[in-house]
Amino acid sequence: MFVRNDAKQFRFCRSKCHKNFKLKRNPRKVKWTKAFRMAAGKEMTVDASLDIEKRRNIPVRYDREVMATTIKAMKRIQEIKAKRERVFMKKRLQGKKAQEKSEALKLVRKNVELIKTPALKQKLLEKKIISVQKMDDVEMA
Amino acid sequence: MLLLKSLAKVIDNSGALVVEVINVMGGMRVASLGDEVVCVVKKARAATSDGAANAVSKLKKGDVARALVVRAAQRVRRLDGTFVKFDDNAVVMLSKQGAPLGNRVLGVVALEARQKRWAKIASLAPKMV
Repeated sequence: MFVRNDAKQFRFCRSKCHKNFKLKRNPRKVKWTKAFRMAAGKEMTVDASLDIEKRRNIPVRYDREVMATTIKAMKRIQEIKAKRERVFMKKRLQGKKAQEKSEALKLVRKNVELIKTPALKQKLLEKKIISVQKMDDVEMA
Repeated sequence: MLLLKSLAKVIDNSGALVVEVINVMGGMRVASLGDEVVCVVKKARAATSDGAANAVSKLKKGDVARALVVRAAQRVRRLDGTFVKFDDNAVVMLSKQGAPLGNRVLGVVALEARQKRWAKIASLAPKMV
């Protein structure tokens, strides 16, 4: 634990974090931190399964039954959480492949001249000419 | 970790600002949080002609006095296994009897200073961590 002179306490997960703190970096702006990922919407932040695991600071009288059910619940909640996180990630990455493909195609169309296979080049060139003509038509119209 | 020749900040209104450790009490070589040291005042608050402001400045440059280490930059292990470290080395000046020389403590004080002997300092501290 590191205590600043204004009595604020910091717990660093590793020395890397402490070093970055000394460099006065803002964790919300450093890509590899959890704070960044949370702030940028890259991880699930709003979910009931996250609220269950909390430090409650309320003493509870020991009860064997309660203990057993708690341990059972912990496992189940963990399962649910993992599942939801998977869904979240899937949703977040949806459309990524299509986007990558369209970007790659764009690049190919832009630099057709560099393609070495004659047949493919011819095909792509024709397409390009057609699309250019179409564009011209649109402009004329 | 304070040892011979270490400089420490003084966080009370005894008049001293910076002190140098010249001995560690209790036969130890290094002093840590909650340890008593003997030190010499290296820098003190400038004496002003104003009587009221000068009233609490009990120490001047070159004075030798005891002090309690309340903050250490070197990490210190606690009994529960956690480590704590602070921004700087800081002390509170004491009289020979062990009572604080100043009547105010400014800044954070480590929990190690919460002992029966240092109850006065613990009560004066604005925050203990």
